[in-house]
Amino acid sequence: MPNELKKIMLIDDNEIDLKINARIITLTSLFDEIIICQSGEESLDYINKYIHNPEKLPDFILLDIQMPEMDGFEYLEHYKQLPSTFTSSCPVAMLSSTLDFGDIKRAEANVYVVKLLKKPLIPTELAELIK
Amino acid sequence: MSFPSIKVLYIDDEENNLQAFKASFRRLYEIYTAISAADGLKILESVNIHVVIADQKMPNITGVEFFKSIAVTYPDPIRILLTGYTDIEALADAINHGDIYRYITKPWNDLELHNSIKNAYDAYRSKIDLRNKIAELEKTNDELNRFIYSISHELRAPLVSVIGIVNLVKMEDLYHSSGEYWSLIESCSNKLDYYIQKTLQYYKNNKTQSEESNIDFKALVTELINLYAYSNKDTQFDVDVDQPVPFKGDLFRIEVILGNLISNAIKYQKINEPNKKVNIEIAVSIEFVEIKITDNGVGILNEHLEKIFTQFFRSKNHHGSGLGLFIVKEALNKINGRISVKSNVDHGTTFKITIPNAK
Repeated sequence: MPNELKKIMLIDDNEIDLKINARIITLTSLFDEIIICQSGEESLDYINKYIHNPEKLPDFILLDIQMPEMDGFEYLEHYKQLPSTFTSSCPVAMLSSTLDFGDIKRAEANVYVVKLLKKPLIPTELAELIK
Repeated sequence: MSFPSIKVLYIDDEENNLQAFKASFRRLYEIYTAISAADGLKILESVNIHVVIADQKMPNITGVEFFKSIAVTYPDPIRILLTGYTDIEALADAINHGDIYRYITKPWNDLELHNSIKNAYDAYRSKIDLRNKIAELEKTNDELNRFIYSISHELRAPLVSVIGIVNLVKMEDLYHSSGEYWSLIESCSNKLDYYIQKTLQYYKNNKTQSEESNIDFKALVTELINLYAYSNKDTQFDVDVDQPVPFKGDLFRIEVILGNLISNAIKYQKINEPNKKVNIEIAVSIEFVEIKITDNGVGILNEHLEKIFTQFFRSKNHHGSGLGLFIVKEALNKINGRISVKSNVDHGTTFKITIPNAK
């Protein structure tokens, strides 16, 4: 993916965290476009809308765990039903302030999750995942 | 004095006895009578009986046998056995198998029987009260646990946002823009986060069932050192892991134990020591793992060694929370581990822990 990695999608219900993480990503220029979604539903709507329009789709997803209605794990259940042409080219990392051992194990056990990152987002940890 | 709320069931195959019983006690209790065990059972099915009195000698079943037969289905009513003659075998049987509260000989004495029923009812009440109290306690305890657990999570989320903002401030070169204010915010936030994390660890340790998985000590220790040495890179770690056999254990608690000891070893270094060192030796065998963590830090005063594992103990000149080693001890208790400590003030401390291998 080097150099071609362009778009990251942030999914988080917390506006402040979205703002912080978007700013961190902008400052580190790890991606050149950020798609912001305030819920899992919003993200799925976006992806479904542009599923035949790959240049609009994200290349990487940063997913919060604790969200109202659809939490991160439920989102992944929907995510894995998306066409594999998309899911195979768009890794998901979870981003959460959780210290819950159960959450951590569950995230690591999910084949669609490359890593569980802990909030606050550390730029080098994100860079590690996309090199 | 009447106790109309006491529901008494009397089973006897002699109608005369049932009548006599009713005549003597009908003003005192709510009385149900049955001419056979089968009739008695029907009443037990529909009425919440407090005290059951049964005659020992009945045609199809003895009183003791009847009590035995309802031991599981109706464990709550208190049982009184009535018998016409002193039958030592019935008595022994009653005590050993029937869970019987009193043994009364016929013909009964009204006052004696009355007192027995009163006492039996008191026993019934305390049994039920105790059960309700326990259920109530379990519920509040469970709620308290869940409350503290979720509040810690809820408290932590915005705090982590604050720490994220401080990180951004650093990235944007604004950290020194307002004197030392940003660094003060940062150290307060870190301290608060530390307390929240310790609270979570404590409650999780109390609540979580032990879950065994394979542990690779080399990987675990490396990970923990990276985590805790992140903000303090001048401590040299010397790690020696000898793990010729697999180790099965409770990963969560072992992580908590090692994490706290490693972070202490980093935290309690001497500020002016040029060679800050932490030495970790781990030897795994089929029976147990032995872990030695030695630092050349400030050390612990002899008179403090006894107290370091108690909650909120902290020495005056250090900035600990008084929770770390307490949690270590609690976690070790849960997995049958042991810990010992040796220390020389100004020369350093060695913690030695042993944890059984669950295999």
